[in-house]
Amino acid sequence: MTARGVLKTLSPLFACIGLLCVWQVASLRLDTESFPTALEAIKAIPSILGDKGSLLNILDSIRRMAIGLVLAVMFSIPLGLLMGRIKAVASFFNPLMMIIYPVPKAALMPIIMLWMGVGDVSKILVIFLGVSLPIIYHAFQGSKAVEEKMLWSGAAMGMSAPMRMLRIVLPAALPEILTGCRTGLVLALITMITSEMIARQSGAGNILFNSLDMAQYDTVFAMILIIGAMGIVFDAAFEKLRLSLVRWSQPRDDMPLSFT
Amino acid sequence: MQVVSLRSDAHAESDPLSGRKPASAMIEIEHVSQRFQTSGKQSHLALSDINLTIEDGAFVSILGPSGCGKSTLLYIVGGFVQPTDGVAKVKGKAITGPGPDRGPVFQEFALFPWKNVLGNVMYGLRQQGVKKAEAEARGRKLLEMVGLKGYENFYPKELSGGMKQRVAIARTLAYDPAVLLMDEPFGALDAHTRTRLQNDLLDIWDRQRKTVLFVTHSVEEAVYLSDKVIVMSRSPGSIKEIVDIDLPRPRKRADLLLDARFQKYIVDIEKMIDDGGKDDL
Repeated sequence: MTARGVLKTLSPLFACIGLLCVWQVASLRLDTESFPTALEAIKAIPSILGDKGSLLNILDSIRRMAIGLVLAVMFSIPLGLLMGRIKAVASFFNPLMMIIYPVPKAALMPIIMLWMGVGDVSKILVIFLGVSLPIIYHAFQGSKAVEEKMLWSGAAMGMSAPMRMLRIVLPAALPEILTGCRTGLVLALITMITSEMIARQSGAGNILFNSLDMAQYDTVFAMILIIGAMGIVFDAAFEKLRLSLVRWSQPRDDMPLSFT
Repeated sequence: MQVVSLRSDAHAESDPLSGRKPASAMIEIEHVSQRFQTSGKQSHLALSDINLTIEDGAFVSILGPSGCGKSTLLYIVGGFVQPTDGVAKVKGKAITGPGPDRGPVFQEFALFPWKNVLGNVMYGLRQQGVKKAEAEARGRKLLEMVGLKGYENFYPKELSGGMKQRVAIARTLAYDPAVLLMDEPFGALDAHTRTRLQNDLLDIWDRQRKTVLFVTHSVEEAVYLSDKVIVMSRSPGSIKEIVDIDLPRPRKRADLLLDARFQKYIVDIEKMIDDGGKDDL
């Protein structure tokens, strides 16, 4: 690898170190109790991850996020694809989506809690709602953009309408769908934390707010780092999967937008 | 209204002297009209009472100005578009939708970008339940025939326009349709590539003798390739004239370009299309 290539690969790492340095300096300069230095926050990470209770809480969060995300993907992709190909389905769901899309799903949390309690069901439902819309939207756009002649070619091969949906519309729209899923993944993390901040019972968001209540600021910042790292790892893993699935559609020299 | 039989020996039920079987009709188009709804309550008559018979094994081109409905006519035969009136038949059966007896090749190629070249060519066979090994063998053979041996693992985005169209032709030939429906297949290609593909198409056609319905803008292309050229006029789209191209086969481009008969066909047909243009003024 050339020096330039090495630099390019490591550039996200430099960005990370740079941010931590700015944090360190700013914290030392401000010198307030509620703003620990980057080093203090990093030092607090092992004690959180070493604590069985905290670790179980974080794993619980991930489990809810995964369930919400998988349900949303399973629901949103077929709906979006149908909307893109069948006009009646689009005319029914599109106005609904336009209304629901801008509403912050976390704002529904109090009502959902009222009806379904503060347990897993409410939180998973909020994650599901938060994640679904961008995936539906992208699947809809992707499916709408599928070349008519490609479908005609399939029909001439004797493929039935459901077969064309599964074997032509789905793969042809996959790059667009996966773009939606990537947005969905990050939104899942956001709604997961938000839901746990509102329904404080367990989870990563709960640890964060509990330590804030108890003025354990190094733990607060350590949790922010942990949650941030989770986001980066999930996103990078997803990008790896996405690229392996849609390499055929990628332009060659692309600027990397994730750690892969 | 114009009823046209494309049989050269239309009078003979059978011809005992030559021992040739009378060609049977592959495609019959009877009183087909197509009306498209445009904005509001307006509608546009794209095709008006088309009657046409195309014999088995014939290479027939449809020529005409843009908007004369020539592609629409092809789509009706493909079953992709339902005519407003009339009926189109293939092998005597009314066309109700697309089917593997009629294989389309489009100007836009319409390849499956997520499949490599071999995957594209095998696709139709795999959908029809042909075993993988058999489909692959068939696909490789077809790719060799269209001059793409060695490109099996390339993806469509890595190919030039001419190569993409070769893949599309192989993909359609793979499921062995009785009729090839070609919708300005070489329209997006440069002149040199276009000539090479025309020659290769003629070679393939000489070997397989499929019925070909070929829509094009180019008079020269139509005359060079076809047994019959159907000249259409627009507003409403209708058949203006049918020209038998009585040039010997196999045809060599270099010979034809110097052939007075070839040149005369081109001049005559261009004049027919021009006259159509004057009607609009």
